[in-house]
Amino acid sequence: MNLLENIRLALEGLRANKMRALLTMLGIIIGIASVMAISTLGSAMTGSVSKTMDKIGGKNISVSLTPKNYDSQATLQPEDYITQDELNSFKETYADQIRAISLSSSLGSGKLNSGYVHKDVSVTGANPDYRLVNNINLVQGRFISDRDIQSSRNVIIIDTTLRNNLVGVNGDPTGMDITVKTKNTNETYTIIGVYEKVVIDNPLFNMGDDTRIECFIPITTAMSLNSASTSIPGYDNFTIMASANADTTAFAQITKQYFIKNMGALSDYTIEAQSMEAMVSEATSMLSTLSLGISVIAGISLLVGGIGVMNIMLVSVTERTKEIGIRKALGARNSAIRSQFIIEAIIICLIGGIIGVGLGSVLGVLGSSLLKFPSTPPVGPMIIALCFSMGIGVFFGYYPANKAAKLNPIDALRYE
Amino acid sequence: MRKKIIEMRGIVKSYYLGTPNELEILHGIDLDVYEGEFLSIVGPSGSGKSTLMNILGALDRPTQGHFFLDQLPMENVKDEGLSKIRNEKIGFVFQTFNLIPRSSALNNVALPMLYGGKSRSVRTKRAKELLELVDMTARSHHRPNELSGGQKQRVAIARAMANDPAIILADEPTGALDTHTGRMVMDIFHRLHQEQGKTIILITHNTELALETERTIRLKDGSIVENKINEKIQLEGSYESA
Ligand SMILES: Nc1ncnc2c1ncn2[C@@H]1O[C@H](COP(=O)(O)OP(=O)(O)OP(=O)(O)O)[C@@H](O)[C@H]1O
Ligand SMILES: [Mg+2]
Repeated sequence: MNLLENIRLALEGLRANKMRALLTMLGIIIGIASVMAISTLGSAMTGSVSKTMDKIGGKNISVSLTPKNYDSQATLQPEDYITQDELNSFKETYADQIRAISLSSSLGSGKLNSGYVHKDVSVTGANPDYRLVNNINLVQGRFISDRDIQSSRNVIIIDTTLRNNLVGVNGDPTGMDITVKTKNTNETYTIIGVYEKVVIDNPLFNMGDDTRIECFIPITTAMSLNSASTSIPGYDNFTIMASANADTTAFAQITKQYFIKNMGALSDYTIEAQSMEAMVSEATSMLSTLSLGISVIAGISLLVGGIGVMNIMLVSVTERTKEIGIRKALGARNSAIRSQFIIEAIIICLIGGIIGVGLGSVLGVLGSSLLKFPSTPPVGPMIIALCFSMGIGVFFGYYPANKAAKLNPIDALRYE
Repeated sequence: MRKKIIEMRGIVKSYYLGTPNELEILHGIDLDVYEGEFLSIVGPSGSGKSTLMNILGALDRPTQGHFFLDQLPMENVKDEGLSKIRNEKIGFVFQTFNLIPRSSALNNVALPMLYGGKSRSVRTKRAKELLELVDMTARSHHRPNELSGGQKQRVAIARAMANDPAIILADEPTGALDTHTGRMVMDIFHRLHQEQGKTIILITHNTELALETERTIRLKDGSIVENKINEKIQLEGSYESA
């Protein structure tokens, strides 16, 4: 008794009862569709997370001074700050783990005036490592150098939007002087480079106001301009880029322990070091909680669907008792009858699975485009879903099929 | 000496209706049937004709006694073996036709060959030939509910012939048909008997039809009460000229 004939027989049987077959499939359809939708959404999210990680640096660890107690009116004391010397010796101690340390100090927002161009910008003081750690994509000129830092030069790196405003898309603004007013003082800077802004379109990583134009100046220049920070001997935050083979989560812990030693016991502040990976896993754990919830619903739905299939197969066996008797009289072996009914159950489930996969993929793509994740339904879960639905057919079809196979031929033939 | 195709010795069939009151339907049947014989079984309703035929057709097992089908002792055959015997050696024709309702006439005829493991092309070719034999070619793609009783029974006979069985067992094949269509069905049996040398066992209530066969067995209350060779009667039926 070959497979193809069994499939043909099963399809014949289903065609005779289309509505009933469809209703039976409903549980399977809902179950498979929700699994498929969540895995489409999930793969879209993880895909965009890993893309974002590439952009913002998956090896980064951000370190900052944070109040021990958020309720208290704690203020940073001069001795709390991490000094350049401390950073240097830290970097030496863990030279094999650290690739770069990025330092920054915001000068806040400012106004740019240059001829006819008036723009709101934000000015950030940065060190040379800032470029590597924050993945600054320089398209013209150069970034801040050690010498710029040493002599607190008035140099500035602008972004492509500003360049387009100043000298046009094809122009070269390097060497040009611009005046930026921050903290109520006008400063003139020489443009030394142009960078292209990286657009991160991932709702899991809200990077704040994306329309702001950010310009970079040497951190030393920024600190001396920042009147409030004249007396500040160091940094309250920095970002480490760990070397490629480092375990960032473990190294974040090491970093925290290293700097916490140097903190005065009486300080209101402590050190927090968090790896980007840990932050990402925090974000994705939300997703896995969600998918767990949906998986439970899907599981229940598949169970109910499977029981529905079993029920309808039992009805079908009873309805076709006489037919089974005839087939046995014509020489059908028990195994032939059994496989006929199992294959029928498998086909019900498989068709349900195919509809479910289609429906779930559409829902998943719609859902993820609603959340602004680019997505395509993943092939792996599709195949697993189809195999799983066939498995349900085998599991829930076996009992009715076996019941049919074991019917006594005479009793079956006599059945009215 | 012709080959004995059926040999029954002391066949008893009992049903257990609850434990104590055992119901014995057949009380020790002895029966020999030879290859190529056309045998009829008659007897009043409830005398055990169908019960006997179910045993002859390997659908049922006797409670006691020995049954050799084509020299093979049936008590040693397992269920799967009985399926194979039904498929290869037996062709059933029932009073109520028992065609598969969702399948076309052609697929109904091909079904025993499917269970016999024949390839699709062989099945289709043979099924077409058989439908030709019973003059049903024009209706080969019709489903049973689109056929008349006589047409259904012709399809059923074609199906019984599918695997070229040693024995055709027909349980009141004309019982649901009018005289004319019944005649047509009987003509087909005569043709299969004479032209193909088939062994045919026919259960009937119609004594005239029984007289057309070579030998008649009469059952009463589960025992054989008569075993009579019929004189050859000349039929004015159309089967000889067909
Ligand atoms: N499964 C069963 N359980 C109990 N008794 C049964 C069973 N099957 C058949 N019988 C009994 O066996 C007896 C013989 O039945 P059978 O069908 O062989 O008669 P028959 O000679 O074919 O009659 P008819 O001419 O009406 O078809 C009947 O009395 C019937 O009630
Ligand atoms: Mg009967």
